[in-house]
Amino acid sequence: MTTQDVDGPLTSAGRGWSRYLPRFNIMLVLPAQLTMMAVVIVPTLIILWLAITDWQPTQAIAWFKAEPIWFWNFYDLWYDSRFTNAVLRTLFVVAVCVSVELGLALGLALLFLDEWPWRRVAVSVIILPMMIIPVDAANAFFMLFNERGPLNHLISLVIGVPYEFSWLSHPTWAMAPIMLAEIWQWTPLMFLLVLTGLMNLPQNQVRAAIVLGASPARIFFKIMLPLLLPVISIALLIRSIETFKIFDPVYILTRGQPGGATETISMFMYNGAFVYFRMGYIAAAALLVLVVVISICLALARPMKRHG
Amino acid sequence: MNENPLWVTFLKRTAVVVAMIIAFFPIYWLIATSFKPYDQWASWPPVWLTDAPTLQNYRIVFFPEAAREFATAQQGSLDYKVSGSAWKAFQDSAIISTFATLFSVMFGTLAAYSIVRFRTGGENYPFQFLTVRMMPPIAVVVPIVALFSILRLSDTYFGLILAYTAFTLPFSIWMIRSFIEEVPLELEGAAMVHGMSQFRAFLTVTLPLIKGGVLATALFIFILNWSEFLFALVLTAGNVITVTLQVANYVSASSGKLYGVQAAMGTISTLPVILFGYVIQRHLVRGLTFGAIKR
Repeated sequence: MTTQDVDGPLTSAGRGWSRYLPRFNIMLVLPAQLTMMAVVIVPTLIILWLAITDWQPTQAIAWFKAEPIWFWNFYDLWYDSRFTNAVLRTLFVVAVCVSVELGLALGLALLFLDEWPWRRVAVSVIILPMMIIPVDAANAFFMLFNERGPLNHLISLVIGVPYEFSWLSHPTWAMAPIMLAEIWQWTPLMFLLVLTGLMNLPQNQVRAAIVLGASPARIFFKIMLPLLLPVISIALLIRSIETFKIFDPVYILTRGQPGGATETISMFMYNGAFVYFRMGYIAAAALLVLVVVISICLALARPMKRHG
Repeated sequence: MNENPLWVTFLKRTAVVVAMIIAFFPIYWLIATSFKPYDQWASWPPVWLTDAPTLQNYRIVFFPEAAREFATAQQGSLDYKVSGSAWKAFQDSAIISTFATLFSVMFGTLAAYSIVRFRTGGENYPFQFLTVRMMPPIAVVVPIVALFSILRLSDTYFGLILAYTAFTLPFSIWMIRSFIEEVPLELEGAAMVHGMSQFRAFLTVTLPLIKGGVLATALFIFILNWSEFLFALVLTAGNVITVTLQVANYVSASSGKLYGVQAAMGTISTLPVILFGYVIQRHLVRGLTFGAIKR
């Protein structure tokens, strides 16, 4: 975060329209603010209403005339193991994907510290996955993990017998291709962030340590890692938030199947709202998620600002 | 650290090559599948590199006759949603992404300028926009569907443009804010001494200086809009179709996923995004971290 390095707005009362500046600066943010209100704030208010109703679009009653059932949605959610499992599964996915991404990115970035002839080409190829449309990436992984895909073929070649495991319909293993697709696609971003951080490190301390005869491992853990910490924490934060929303690969690879075994929060809510049409129930789940996310935001905003 | 023995350097380069192969392999498989004839899409053992490359998959994507021909030959049928040409998807995606990008960058520039130079709304104000990026879009999708149904915005260009604009505003505001902050205030001050209003000073002095950054922001947001899937999925019902929907829709009632066709559509639809991505490679880090990390 950069701090505002401005010495206050350049306003001088009485010079032309500048007398109206307070209104003018509000006018400048108005288009952005109104768009936000139309798509985010008004819908959030609608959620508050829908969450206490049992509205289902199939009943042909307009949503604003739906019968309130008060807090039964929340009661049901609490005892809905599919919902609680989706929440736990999402947290698991975030924890595993983000830490694997960070580990791989750190390892990769260390390989790129020195210059060599085709270094730029290598960086360009390695960051290719993050440029792909996520839906297309998920489709590629669907083919790779197909019963008759190249992965099973490789395994067959190694073990010597035909291996046609169907990854995507196994209750436990179906999560693996989804997480691998996510890791494959977003490790490059983490790699770019860490590499940027490493290239911007002050070189003096590293050189001094080399002169003093410190081992490479010691230099990495005692000097580089602490200096990288701000970059790493931003990277972890952003990737955790994005991974928490994971939807595209789940939809393309399994749609939450088999039997909800791969439902993340987003997939659970999509299935609930657009497959089972339980809009009121899903609005209640959405309200819970929003409350949690917004309180995390508020909690994070404070240290992020202090961090400058 | 330059006095590494040769074998260490060799191991390091080997690791890089392995990483490059892993990064490229799924993309290779996508492209390779797009040229495979029907009987090699999901054969066992899988075909790693087809010996009979065909453009049939690409023809099915773009020409309804080819799709019909294919359907009769396989005694199957294409989903009604994709029996037409994919041109419609490209056209719709182009319209929606372009307008949403324009709105997002325009509104974002104005708001960012106001936030940097006037400190509008105080310290916390920009964070309000970040909140939007943190909440899962699926959480507001249900009420947006309800709202759009009474405003008659579902399944229209405008509805998607509105949604995309709102959900990319945090990026445009924070990215452009970081570019404006890099321009010294004195430059605008000098212009104002010559009698320009502050806003004109911004338009004629600061904006030309950051136009590279604004363009990068625009391309970045275009990529996000072009790749978006969830909103397109729930806010359309056949009248409007985006490229990502078209990709997901290549499923036949009788023979399941149409791997080859899907791969062909995937390859073409992702090409512009890759191109733009490399054009703004220098700014990708800044974009994806909301301007927090700069090169």
